[in-house]
Amino acid sequence: MSDTTDTIDILIEYIRKETGFEGPLAADDDLLTAGVLDSFNIVSLALFAQERFEVDLDGDDLVRDNLAKLSSLAALIERRRAEQA
Amino acid sequence: MPTDNTPGLLTRLAGPFREFGWAAGLAYFIHRVLRKLSPNLGLYVYEFMVQPIGGKPLLPPNLSRNLSFQEILKGDPAIADMPAREDIKARRFEQGARCLGAYRKGQLIGYLWYATGRYEEDEVRCDYVLVDNAASIFDFDLYVLPQYRLGVGFLGVWHGANELLAPQGVRYTFSRLTRFNVASRRAHAHLGWKRVGVGLFLQLWGAEFMASTVAPYLGATFGEHQRITLRLHPDVLMSA
Repeated sequence: MSDTTDTIDILIEYIRKETGFEGPLAADDDLLTAGVLDSFNIVSLALFAQERFEVDLDGDDLVRDNLAKLSSLAALIERRRAEQA
Repeated sequence: MPTDNTPGLLTRLAGPFREFGWAAGLAYFIHRVLRKLSPNLGLYVYEFMVQPIGGKPLLPPNLSRNLSFQEILKGDPAIADMPAREDIKARRFEQGARCLGAYRKGQLIGYLWYATGRYEEDEVRCDYVLVDNAASIFDFDLYVLPQYRLGVGFLGVWHGANELLAPQGVRYTFSRLTRFNVASRRAHAHLGWKRVGVGLFLQLWGAEFMASTVAPYLGATFGEHQRITLRLHPDVLMSA
């Protein structure tokens, strides 16, 4: 598996644990539109990602474009990892 | 044709029951019917909540570094921009309420109003008295500007409230939540709040009738000069 796939799997596991959501979750699903996450737990997801993947996110990172889809959040994590390497 | 509309109508009617549960769904349905009949009729279902102040910061340092917090004073242009009616905002200052603003890079991202000692409800004729007065506030009208709602907005406001109020000895904040505001219930659930009680208020023109799990449990008022007093205590949080 690629790093990105691993990252997405870890994020999915977190979402299921936090929200109890049992339906299908795909990398490009819009989790806000689908009602899986709300504006609070999407920030919680970002805080989890920051700690779990040891990356520093900034307040400017917490925008819909980066958070609504797992693929976008995984890409952000990869970018921050590369910058901080 | 009626048959074509039936599924849509049923879905709309069932919506509140599905979202709020049968009891609150029925209350919501009754409230909507009463409001259709007259603006002087209504059925309000409130939950009285208490939430801890202080403890661990809600945001890590890298997400809070561009945030600042300060009191928004009467006359500040930000007050005029707030969506509440002018007379309501003026009444808030008259009853001694204060407003905390959260700013990111100097821009207002959200605010929170609070009162100390007692809070005069503005929807029904009821006052909330905070029993542990020195360590308690009553918060209301938390607002996050739309562009910050997905980011640090909501947590940022509470982060600032904790930062400013905890050093002043505040340990509890109470609030009144309408049972029908599902989004707010979900958001606050993350902040460790507990329910102090529930209140049901029936407005019938000049009369209001209350039933509550908080003493005095039952009450009625017949005119603007009469108000019910509910005393709120943080017991539920201390025993949690």
